[in-house]
Amino acid sequence: MDITAGTILLTLVWGIAVGCIYMLLASGLNIIFGVMKLVNFAHGQLLMIGAYATWAISVASGLNAYEAIFISMALVAALGVVVERLTFRKVLGTEKLNEIFVSLGLIYIFENAALLLWGDQSQRIVSPFAGLSFDLTAFSITYDRVVAMIVVVAILVAFGWLIYRTKIGLAMRATSQRNVTASLMGINIERIYMITFALGSAMAAAAGGLYGIIFTFNSQSGAMPTIIAFAIIILGGLGSIRGAIVGGLLYGIAEQMATLFLGGIWASAVAFALLIAVLIIKPNGLFGEKGE
Amino acid sequence: MPSKQKVATFLRSKGFQILLISFAILALIPVLIRDSFFLFVFTLIFIFAIYAASWNFLSNSGQGSLGHAAFLGIGGFASAIIGSRLSVAIIITLKVDTMPIGALSVLLQIMVLLLGGLLSAGIGLLIGLACVRLKAWYLAMVTFGFSVIINTLSSQFDSFTNGIYGFAPAIFVPSGFPFYILVISFAVLSIGIMHAVMKSRMGLAFRAIHGNEAEAKMIGINTPKYKLIAFTISTFFAGIAGGLYVYFIRFVDNSIFSPANSFLPLIMSVIGGLGTVSGPVIGSIFLTSVGQILTTQPVTQGLSNTLGPFFPKVGYVGPPLTYLFIGVILIAIVVFSPKGLESLFRKFYKYLVS
Repeated sequence: MDITAGTILLTLVWGIAVGCIYMLLASGLNIIFGVMKLVNFAHGQLLMIGAYATWAISVASGLNAYEAIFISMALVAALGVVVERLTFRKVLGTEKLNEIFVSLGLIYIFENAALLLWGDQSQRIVSPFAGLSFDLTAFSITYDRVVAMIVVVAILVAFGWLIYRTKIGLAMRATSQRNVTASLMGINIERIYMITFALGSAMAAAAGGLYGIIFTFNSQSGAMPTIIAFAIIILGGLGSIRGAIVGGLLYGIAEQMATLFLGGIWASAVAFALLIAVLIIKPNGLFGEKGE
Repeated sequence: MPSKQKVATFLRSKGFQILLISFAILALIPVLIRDSFFLFVFTLIFIFAIYAASWNFLSNSGQGSLGHAAFLGIGGFASAIIGSRLSVAIIITLKVDTMPIGALSVLLQIMVLLLGGLLSAGIGLLIGLACVRLKAWYLAMVTFGFSVIINTLSSQFDSFTNGIYGFAPAIFVPSGFPFYILVISFAVLSIGIMHAVMKSRMGLAFRAIHGNEAEAKMIGINTPKYKLIAFTISTFFAGIAGGLYVYFIRFVDNSIFSPANSFLPLIMSVIGGLGTVSGPVIGSIFLTSVGQILTTQPVTQGLSNTLGPFFPKVGYVGPPLTYLFIGVILIAIVVFSPKGLESLFRKFYKYLVS
């Protein structure tokens, strides 16, 4: 294949579009980590469930896929509340490894429940803009990718407003800084944890809906995005929102460029090589503060 | 060299007697229960017991790995490739049709497995160099990343590894009882050695690092050095387990590097009891037998007949239900009995005695 300036530009834009989805997923993971100091390795599985929920809702009710995303966000947020209540709350504050073990158990449960409920065939959400694309002279880009970028930016702006302009956001930031002091100031931290987990899950579900419109997915599709979201927040630094945004874009572009220049099988390997290189030089990530 | 007296004390020591007795008991089991499926499951249990024990050993030194399948795979591929080249060379020099099987071939098998373990440990040492500075989820991510990278490299250099379509390794030890004896010899020795290391001065350093790395450093332990040693030893045994696995199922391809294989030793160690000697073995017995029994033909058929109508989208409900069950068990263990099945057995035993 000829690599022209046009293909490089196209790959860059694709990288940004894919990066936006990862950015949304990573921000959800990051808010959960920031407030609860909890590592949820099953976060990508919430993306997969969000994609299935969006697909099932739009097939069953005939709703527009982008409308279905909002219903699936609410459903997955509810699922998140149940999961937080039944599992993570019991191990919070015990050894850190227990959280990793619980999330591994959740991965097994989510993936196999999805397999039993929805079968093993790959699905794709039918978008209202299927087949439409902007034709620019150098390259063309589908409406869906542009809409994905707009949706992600809108959700992140709403998220920023929630965190920095509302009382709940203030309580979340206080809990994130020091939960004991926050609870002494009259904040019900268990309620904040519940809201945070629901919020993070809803963001994963939104990312899932967008993912399902652009890519095909099945019950195993959550595994790679989990790892990628982790790579991104580690690249950007745990708990740093700015880091997640920069990390998401960098990762998306690196992945798409590796696919263009080296071939598909190298996509994840190059991204991990980047991650490992960053961590060897800066063990706390690009924007990370000193770890615990 | 150890003196004669030292060897004599070792032969009379309690540890050596436990090794001999456990070996004898394990060797007798298939003689008493003559059943090929039982033998198959038991062989698999002890291969995974070595693998889980190697992960558990790493966790005892305060480290962890979400990419141990990389070392399982390196050990498996290395021993399979070396073994195949070796058997071709032997067949050519002896001018025979197939590889002769006898005492010599068993020795060759052991040598090939050790070579696989050594190569795995060598690469483990290099990867460990990148990992010793990292902690918790940073370490988890980097080890996971290495397993993805090694999988990609294996696909890239397919002409050398043949990993995409996979291949069958040469046969040195016939399957069935002889292979079982080979596996339990390796299992008893590997677990014994890892336990002995944990009991030694070096093991004390590992446990100090596990307890609190900063304090360990303060009292003068060279923490990077000991963490690197633990990583290398763990990857050596993971490589051995990989070699045994490949020679046992007589097939190897890139799917050996899968994340499921990376999570397996972790789940076994946690279910059995993290940080104990018997934990990984108990976890392996539990998980391997549950996995193998629930996915056999009659059980799958029965499950499909009874539960199939509830899940019309899948043709087979056995395997997904098995994994769902494992997930629930894992969470239940972590939430209700964080020390694993081993501590439950211990409590039960105390209750019986009192």
